[in-house]
Amino acid sequence: MLLSCLIGVPLVGAIALGLLPLPEQEAKPARLGALAVWLVTVGLTVAAIAQFNPADSQMQLLETVPWIDRLGLGYRLGIDGLSLPLLALNVLLTGIAIFATGDKIRRPRFYYALLLLLSASVNGAFAARDLLLFFLFYELELIPLYLLIGIWGGDRRGYAATKFLIYTALSGIIILAAFLALAGLAGFQTFEYGPLLAFVTGMDSPLGGAGLPLGTQVLLLLPILIGFGIKIPLVPFHTWLPDAHVEASTPISVLLAGVLLKLGTYGLLRFGLGLLPGAWHAAAPYLAIWATVSVLYGAFAAIAQGITNGDMKKMVAYSSVGHMGFILLAAAAATPVSLMGAEFQMIAHGLISALLFLLVGIVYKKAGTRKLDALSGLFNPERGLPLVGALMVLGVMASGGIPGMAGFISEFLIFSGSFKDFPVHTLMSMVGTGLTAVYFLILLNRAFFGRLSDRAVNLPSVSWWDRAPAIALAVPIAVLGLLPSLLSVWSEAATNSLAAIARLGIAG
Amino acid sequence: MTLAPSNPPQPLAQLPLGDIIDRLLRGEALLLDGPQAVVEVVGVLHSYGIVLDAYSRNLIYIADNTFLQLFPFFKYFNGQISLGKWLKHLWHDRINYEYAEYCMKSMFWHGGGALDHFVDSPEFRRLARTAIAAKIKSNPLIQGIDRAFPEFLLEQVRQLAYYSALGQFWRIMSDIFMDLSAAYDHGQITQIPDVVTLIQDGLVAAAATPVTYGVEIGGQRYDILPASANLTFLMDTAVPYVEAVFFRGTPFPGTISYNAQAGQVPVAQERFSYGALYADPLPIGGAGIPPTLLMQDMRHFIPPYLHEIYEAGLRHEDDLLVKICVSFQKSMFCVTTAAISGLAPHPLTSTVPEERSANVAYLTGWMERLSHSQIRAANGQQP
Repeated sequence: MLLSCLIGVPLVGAIALGLLPLPEQEAKPARLGALAVWLVTVGLTVAAIAQFNPADSQMQLLETVPWIDRLGLGYRLGIDGLSLPLLALNVLLTGIAIFATGDKIRRPRFYYALLLLLSASVNGAFAARDLLLFFLFYELELIPLYLLIGIWGGDRRGYAATKFLIYTALSGIIILAAFLALAGLAGFQTFEYGPLLAFVTGMDSPLGGAGLPLGTQVLLLLPILIGFGIKIPLVPFHTWLPDAHVEASTPISVLLAGVLLKLGTYGLLRFGLGLLPGAWHAAAPYLAIWATVSVLYGAFAAIAQGITNGDMKKMVAYSSVGHMGFILLAAAAATPVSLMGAEFQMIAHGLISALLFLLVGIVYKKAGTRKLDALSGLFNPERGLPLVGALMVLGVMASGGIPGMAGFISEFLIFSGSFKDFPVHTLMSMVGTGLTAVYFLILLNRAFFGRLSDRAVNLPSVSWWDRAPAIALAVPIAVLGLLPSLLSVWSEAATNSLAAIARLGIAG
Repeated sequence: MTLAPSNPPQPLAQLPLGDIIDRLLRGEALLLDGPQAVVEVVGVLHSYGIVLDAYSRNLIYIADNTFLQLFPFFKYFNGQISLGKWLKHLWHDRINYEYAEYCMKSMFWHGGGALDHFVDSPEFRRLARTAIAAKIKSNPLIQGIDRAFPEFLLEQVRQLAYYSALGQFWRIMSDIFMDLSAAYDHGQITQIPDVVTLIQDGLVAAAATPVTYGVEIGGQRYDILPASANLTFLMDTAVPYVEAVFFRGTPFPGTISYNAQAGQVPVAQERFSYGALYADPLPIGGAGIPPTLLMQDMRHFIPPYLHEIYEAGLRHEDDLLVKICVSFQKSMFCVTTAAISGLAPHPLTSTVPEERSANVAYLTGWMERLSHSQIRAANGQQP
């Protein structure tokens, strides 16, 4: 019941916030309600972690409720070392988003209800071990996110929200087509992950068959790659992301970059590599090229934003495009080390990008602009944002893979795990890491050093309420950088198991 | 020293800062008048007066009691050495006397006035040598150093003379500023010209106060700056001080840095314009350096009516040092107005054509120097 509660509690909380007769214009009661629900989900997450056996690579905390047996539909939940850290990340970032939301938010009940609904649907997607159930949660998450961008976003929120919806809905349809095709090939007996993997590989399959031919696997993998490639996003399906980030409010950007993009990378690992290992192996060289292009494109786009004095938020968004490419490279190599790196990168990027978006949000809230040509000298100890600047340096160092930070661990694991199979791609991706330092130093240099710009000469104070969520993210970034085993211990068995599945593809 | 180079008179509108010249000729000040300006200037000068009192006592203490002590470790203790005071010193719970020395060295470097000439005169050399000989007569080590580097101790005495001179100057200025504060408290100061008038009157009243310096060695007094040198408060300390600290040198530490290699520091000393009137009140860089040590000292003595204004700002106390620096700069424009007015060839409000013309020429020289100062910013105007 634990996983159902992790979905149900925020869902019920969302409904309760929507229906309870709380004051419409006052944000505090709705915020307190959301925080109470969040605290319960934190407790449930801790309980899930306590019950989880990290040495076991299989799905755990299983829950099964049959639905339409004839079609193989069922409510099947379970988590492994791949999904547990992401689920915990989602819970953490939901709390950060609630804390980072200002007191003057319009329609607070609706806002917090949507935030909880989003959290519930993402929890559901990470906990689903049924393809159709995953799809349902994957689609459900679009609705609150669309509304959160469309109602509480910036000036061009309508455009950005619609673009986001079109892209990601299309992504969902393509993924659904692949899932239905796979289930159809298996005779619509089940949508459950385990039996379908056995059906594809032809090893001990309860569904019968001697495994799917490589050509069929490739045909199934293509829509999965495109569908999740849009969500991640990978070049050239990335154009919705900078718009969505620029228009989304800070807490929504935190969730979008921190956890929602990870639905795409998780989907690739779980349903691409994890379900179609033969096709994955065949496509791996092309995926490595795709990853490298994404890494370099994201980096150069961020540099272009920097040298044209563009939007800080857009820079961080393009940085996400580049950094998601690392995960695809690791998945293409599919070695135990690279897959551990991919899992680490999902968590590290979730924390780092959330931190960077939070800090950019504080700058925007205080200075009224994110444009690099309008900002300078924010490090000013008296009138600038010195602590925000210090945290920004920490975030930038982590994003650039400086040793001692979580980003270093993930990038080191990815590069060392991928180098043997894809040396050129890995080296080019390492250049992408170097370019991360270039564009973030441009950002730091222009926005934080020098004399405080006239526009920002009289900034309002930054309260500890503003700073606390960023500090809460900075701590795990540094701690995981120094003690990576705190995370790897939970995922090692699952990533090793995934690497073993990948070897099935090589053997097949 | 060039306080006010003379230029041929032109129409005011064509002159640099012509609007300010016009204002000065109407009896107003460099700083625009206004209720908040008065509160800021009087309030900050109140705290400055208290700080100057401490600086002045310490400078005079150093000059009188650490004469040719090459390592005066406890020079900031004013002779009251105790463990508690030492711990407070280490904890930095104290007045930053370093700022006073910084100003003294700036004055010493930039020179100007009869004091500058006197310390280079044979008379000074003779007096200083006598005092040096008395001081080191039983110290063979220092005697050896003195023989090897005969200018070394002499230069130390020159510096001590400046310690004393600046201490005496600030003694009078502190009293003037405290009088100003008292007058404001009694409702006698309501506008900026009142501030300028009070300061100017104070300067004029003290103008001829003699500046002397002597030390006692072995129970005998040795004159260093004798009364016969005819050094006086206004022309030999006040004017060189304004020139050195307000105009040329003494940029507030932490506000801006100059790169001599990049040609940002002029070779000619008289072209320096890094003084208090030119300083950017915003600190630069990420090292957390506050605008100046002076602002750190003044913050302890801000009167409640000024603190209330600072507290009402967007950053409350977060940027207190910057706010004090801005107010201080405004107050220094008032002191400069008093100096300009006091040194003018004729009363600035004179309507006699010849006198007015001379005044315009005189003010034009000042305005050329002030054209790239912070005067516009202090008045809330675009540069």
